[in-house]
Amino acid sequence: MDSEDVMIKIESINKSFGNIKALDNLNLNINRGELLGIIGPNGAGKTTAIRLTCCILKPDSGDIIVDGSSIHDDPITIKSKIGYLPEEPNLYERFKARDLLRYFAELYGVPKDKIEPRIEGLLDLVGMTDRGEDRINTFSKGLRQRISVARALIHDPDIIIFDEPTMGLDPATAASIRNFIRQLKGKKTIVLCTHYMEEADLLCDRVAILNKGKVRDVGTPDYLKSKIHGDVILTVKTDSLLDQASIKEQIMQFESVGATKFADGTFSISLNHRNEIKSIVDVFGSHIVAINTQEPTLNDVFIHSVK
Amino acid sequence: MKFTTITKWELKNTLKSRKFMMIFVLQLSVLLLMIIVFNSFVTNIESDKGIAITPSLNGFATMDVQDQSGLISKYVNPEIISVNNVTTYNTSILRTENGLTTGFLYVQGNADTQIKTGETVNMLVYVDAADPKMSVVTNEANNTAKTIAQSYSSSLTTSANTQNLTANFTQETTGESLPLQIIKKVMLVILLFLPLLLFGNIIIDSIVGEKERKTGEILVAMPISHSQIIIGKSLAVALTISLQVLIWLGVLLIFGFSILNPLAVFVFIFLTSIPIIGITAVVAAYSKNYKEAGIGLSLAYLVIVGFLIIPVLVYISRKSFIANISPMTIVMRLFSGQFIAIPDYLLCLGFILIVSLVSYWFAIKMFARDDITFGPRPGILRILFELLTLKFFRK
Repeated sequence: MDSEDVMIKIESINKSFGNIKALDNLNLNINRGELLGIIGPNGAGKTTAIRLTCCILKPDSGDIIVDGSSIHDDPITIKSKIGYLPEEPNLYERFKARDLLRYFAELYGVPKDKIEPRIEGLLDLVGMTDRGEDRINTFSKGLRQRISVARALIHDPDIIIFDEPTMGLDPATAASIRNFIRQLKGKKTIVLCTHYMEEADLLCDRVAILNKGKVRDVGTPDYLKSKIHGDVILTVKTDSLLDQASIKEQIMQFESVGATKFADGTFSISLNHRNEIKSIVDVFGSHIVAINTQEPTLNDVFIHSVK
Repeated sequence: MKFTTITKWELKNTLKSRKFMMIFVLQLSVLLLMIIVFNSFVTNIESDKGIAITPSLNGFATMDVQDQSGLISKYVNPEIISVNNVTTYNTSILRTENGLTTGFLYVQGNADTQIKTGETVNMLVYVDAADPKMSVVTNEANNTAKTIAQSYSSSLTTSANTQNLTANFTQETTGESLPLQIIKKVMLVILLFLPLLLFGNIIIDSIVGEKERKTGEILVAMPISHSQIIIGKSLAVALTISLQVLIWLGVLLIFGFSILNPLAVFVFIFLTSIPIIGITAVVAAYSKNYKEAGIGLSLAYLVIVGFLIIPVLVYISRKSFIANISPMTIVMRLFSGQFIAIPDYLLCLGFILIVSLVSYWFAIKMFARDDITFGPRPGILRILFELLTLKFFRK
């Protein structure tokens, strides 16, 4: 990848909180215009990595280069390029929605003549035009998250960082937030930190799996899925008369079979390709009770990577 | 200059806040109450009667006195016993028996003439033994007799001494007495400085509130430095305080307080607010929550108040140069119309400058530290250790 195409370059970052090492020599590149998902278990270092990128925290060692600027040398320039939506939508309760957006627009240095049109455009985007004069403390969690999205976009940033944007939201609100992200995809460089694998699978161009402060794997969702399980998982539920040892031996003869597991009368067979499915099924003969093929999910990738 | 944006919005929110308006009005009411108390106190202390520190016994006991010369009744202490001059012996005896008076003092003949001719004066005290106040009357009658005896013997000694050249001594004073100065000047200067200590909660709310509400994270993510955040917030509080001080100055002037150089007084009080807000910002930057900040602030303000007031008292009693280190001393001298030499000003301004620089540097440094803002927060002893080993300066 050409270095000009890299928007965020995380270089050997280390960060500890007391005795706890949150990030351990973390390296990661985020390309210009891509939507990168960061997934990982609790305490993997996702939020720390994001806070370091946003110059909220300072690393113990290493550097992050954002659009050519180092977090050590030019944090203010970096901050002005990033729209950050933290995990919890904590906002100034006494502010009215429009005032809140005005306040942040002024802090981001948005030109005065552009502030009002931008506020109206964003309120429209998040469907809150009619709530602009209401105070934040009257909003539900979903509305707070929507106004937080608008706040993060107020200065039309090149980079948007979402930390668990749909956490704790009802399915409809979560879908609307995902919809905002989808609308921004391709236009901005987006980092999406999430616990929801389907969300990452659905939205992200690439996904980085973080565990214990290190990147365990990074790639497109399809690449990651194929890497752990192959292309497809064949599950065959059998009756109790089956000689499982003999069947297993026969199955392993097929060239496409990667791994085989047997539990509770069900065979789970990982296949590299689908060409031999019919022949494998034939091995079971009349002992088949049910048969199913299943694509591996990002969830499988996640569990495989962090175990 | 993005700190002005923070100042503007902080000020706007403070002035729009109902809580703030309530505090503001409450403080003004307290000030008015203090002015009333202060005024009546000073009026009393300046009156001829003065203020009795001990409770008055006036009217506690009454005594009928039959004294032809009027000498005895003149020496009876009116604070203790009300004297009722009578001429009829039997009536007073009856009055005592009926409880209409506590006792009756009878002086035979003309006491004044008797004393001058060296005769013994016979006095009779008649009391009702059942009356618990009888001892007051007997004691007072006894004391009066002793006092008269002492003053006459002293008079005889003086007249017998031919070399006695005792001058006719009169006393004249200039200025106010020390207690009156302390009450009038110190109380007024305290009233003027009071707003500085009443608005600590605003800066606490402004900085600790960001931590408690967890809004600090988005604020720190803004393209604005930590120093601009602290300065922006502090300036908003300083402006709020200056508004309050202006109103207080106006109220005090309206109520007839003599404040010379009001503009210079205002400027000095405003300047004093800067280091006080700085120290408050240090407490706020370190505190995790309002409770901690409240405790820290109480301790810090105790030291600040002591530092402000003690030099004022020192200055009143000794006119010491070093006492000018406290801005309260300068303000007191300013509103009293005293001449203040340049070194006195420089001492005070220099101290304000140093404390301001150190406190804001500390507050900004603490606010910018990850461990203090996001945890795990180091203890105070650890920070002191870091300061001693100069590690704090490198972080």
